[in-house]
Amino acid sequence: MREKLAEIIYLDNAATTFPKPREVLERMIDVYAAKGVSPGRGGYDCAQEADELVSGVRQRLCQFFGGDDPDRVIFASNATDALNLVIQGTVKPGGHVVSSQLEHNSVLRPLQHLRESGLIDYDLIPFDGQGFIDPDDVSRAIRSQTQLVVLTHASNVLGTIQPIEAIGAVCREKGVPLILDTAQSAGVLPIDISKWGVSAMAFTGHKSLLGPTGIGGLVLSRSLEVQSTRFGGTGIDSQELIHTQTYPHRLEAGTLNILGIIGLMAGLDYLSAQGMESILLRERALAQRLWEGLAELKRVKLYGTDRLDRRLGVVLANIEGMIPADVGAILDGDFGIATRVGLHCAPLVHQRLGTGRAGGVRFSVGPFNTENEIDQAVEAIKKIAEFRRAG
Amino acid sequence: MRSLAGRDVFFDSEGFLVDPSQWSEEMAEQLARETGISFLEETHWRVIRFLREYYLQNGRAPLHRELKKGIGMTLMEIEALFPGGIKMGARLLAGLPNPKTCGM
Repeated sequence: MREKLAEIIYLDNAATTFPKPREVLERMIDVYAAKGVSPGRGGYDCAQEADELVSGVRQRLCQFFGGDDPDRVIFASNATDALNLVIQGTVKPGGHVVSSQLEHNSVLRPLQHLRESGLIDYDLIPFDGQGFIDPDDVSRAIRSQTQLVVLTHASNVLGTIQPIEAIGAVCREKGVPLILDTAQSAGVLPIDISKWGVSAMAFTGHKSLLGPTGIGGLVLSRSLEVQSTRFGGTGIDSQELIHTQTYPHRLEAGTLNILGIIGLMAGLDYLSAQGMESILLRERALAQRLWEGLAELKRVKLYGTDRLDRRLGVVLANIEGMIPADVGAILDGDFGIATRVGLHCAPLVHQRLGTGRAGGVRFSVGPFNTENEIDQAVEAIKKIAEFRRAG
Repeated sequence: MRSLAGRDVFFDSEGFLVDPSQWSEEMAEQLARETGISFLEETHWRVIRFLREYYLQNGRAPLHRELKKGIGMTLMEIEALFPGGIKMGARLLAGLPNPKTCGM
């Protein structure tokens, strides 16, 4: 029996896209039911077919993101997991990392852990009042000990798209690998790591790639060597007690999440059928409608650039005199609108925006939102702001 | 730790009771005065008692829709009833723990 779809206006797509396309979910069930065995393990045909399916998805992701070697597409649980893999597998004692104040805790916490362990030091470059990093700041922050530059492609708080091609040129010139966090952008923005000079990108499957939670990964360029930081069965070289050192096994241990990988494949098929650009344009149009609607309201403050062509469908707002947690509760309880309030796991962004400990209310649109839903969200915020003022 | 309503009580950095079992009605009245409510009226108590009873029975705060239905008021009205709003007002005065999700 099918569960009833939640009766909410879902504007928390930057956390995870919801709902997922029915085609993706049905394909996952069908393919998993037919081929859901351990890929690459066992000598039977079905295991071989499952392995071919996994290799095919690596190939597609490599092509989709402009990688140079499908064997360097590494599966992980999500973008955070992938970032941990690449950061911890790349830095060496005494090293230095450049990152930014725009980052999610998925980057900040691994770096802080490594600093507190006495292994590395790092510097965080600021972002400007519009929400953008300056490539010149990246250049200035790189020093002789710098081993990595780790940056987000698009802020999960502001949605601002960073000038990665220019930053990639800086990193290439300085000979420092650039690691890109594409948690918000993969599946909605075109990405070409080879062209941009990106050495590795971390992606997640459950946001704009429209797959399930629990699957993500890395796309590495051939120029970057990443050391294993976890070890175990790979299905090959089983006689060796040393973990397999060829890619992708070097960075994968244990049975792969084949259901998640099928979901990625189905998500890519869906994007291909719908056209990623048309989804982006639609989400931007909705975000613009939301921004313009909220901008007209008294006591409502918006953050970041108003250049909608330089951001994803993410809008951060606050109502003067109200804490964001309460605005989110009212949106949910009184209007059936789901948003994400608080710090969005990016505390330094809010610190710099002056939204401190309480954060803000983030609206993030997805492929299934409608103009009517956006209008309802604007109307809800209008009512909340007016009610509070009248009270 | 501070002394409140005749006993030593631990609060977190945002002013929430660390141990909800230490809560008392006298404590809620004193905390209310500190947030600018000189006298807790019946409507305030209705919200506070619902939150406490729900929490003690279920081990968590009510969902938004449960709070709305349980009190018979909109969340906008509940928010406006307390100077600190829902989280920093009603929930704090009811002695519920500080929610752990970031920013909630």
